[in-house]
Amino acid sequence: MDKKVKVVPCSGIGKVYGLMAREAVLKTVIELCPEKSETVCLAYIVTGDKEVREKIDGFNCITVDGCPKMCASKNVTIAGGVVIEEIKVLDTVKEHKGKKFGSPTMLDADGEVVISEIAGKIAKKINEMSIGT
Amino acid sequence: MSEFKVGVLSCSGEECLGGTISRLATRKVLEELKMVETVTLCLPLYLAGGNEERNFAKVFPTISVDGCDKLCAKRSTEKYSGKINGFIDISKIIGAENALNTKIVRNKDLTDEHFQMVDQVAGEIVKMIGSINPDAYSGKAFHGCGCGSD
Repeated sequence: MDKKVKVVPCSGIGKVYGLMAREAVLKTVIELCPEKSETVCLAYIVTGDKEVREKIDGFNCITVDGCPKMCASKNVTIAGGVVIEEIKVLDTVKEHKGKKFGSPTMLDADGEVVISEIAGKIAKKINEMSIGT
Repeated sequence: MSEFKVGVLSCSGEECLGGTISRLATRKVLEELKMVETVTLCLPLYLAGGNEERNFAKVFPTISVDGCDKLCAKRSTEKYSGKINGFIDISKIIGAENALNTKIVRNKDLTDEHFQMVDQVAGEIVKMIGSINPDAYSGKAFHGCGCGSD
């Protein structure tokens, strides 16, 4: 049984915060915790296909959302995922007032700093979970 | 009223390069195309949002841009919103091996070669927008109310 934590961002396309969610998750699953975590395409989850439900249903998931609509969290929950942590990009952004993070297309240097922070928070949670099991 | 708007919906898949290219090519068209106004929507809003989001493809002639042959953006739009006017499968343009690359997905890892792929896909989106009958542009094909009925 695949015990990797599923980390799913919203990847919202209209604002920089969606890109920040996406990049923070990719940094986590590719660079920080590749052995303990993986991502699943949110668009695939939205289809409701049986194959993707089997990847999510009953598994521990961390969602990362860029806006209050909480698309990642809601869609993962609909697919049966167990959302153990809902990370909101804006919570970290608030700690960096006055900075320019980039655009919905590309992050600036300050955007990279913030996504590294968020990725660190996600990795911490993943590592805590693996200690607990 | 003359509102020439076309919807472009990207899968933005997180698992492979094709998703990243779908997102970047869609953004490029949204930012740079001037002949027709383009709009987009976050795909997961079909389930997380309300009727307004689910009416997207009924209001705007819509093109989906998918990173692989699962065609999630196309199928979700048709399932939750309405008929689409065209779809792009990026794996058919850049090759399945590139599209399904799971190592290079982050923007910061992209090379000039990947940005050429973005340009190529953006060109295909523009071509497809150009092939849409202008009578289908926003406001002309939408005969329903905003409550979800046809």
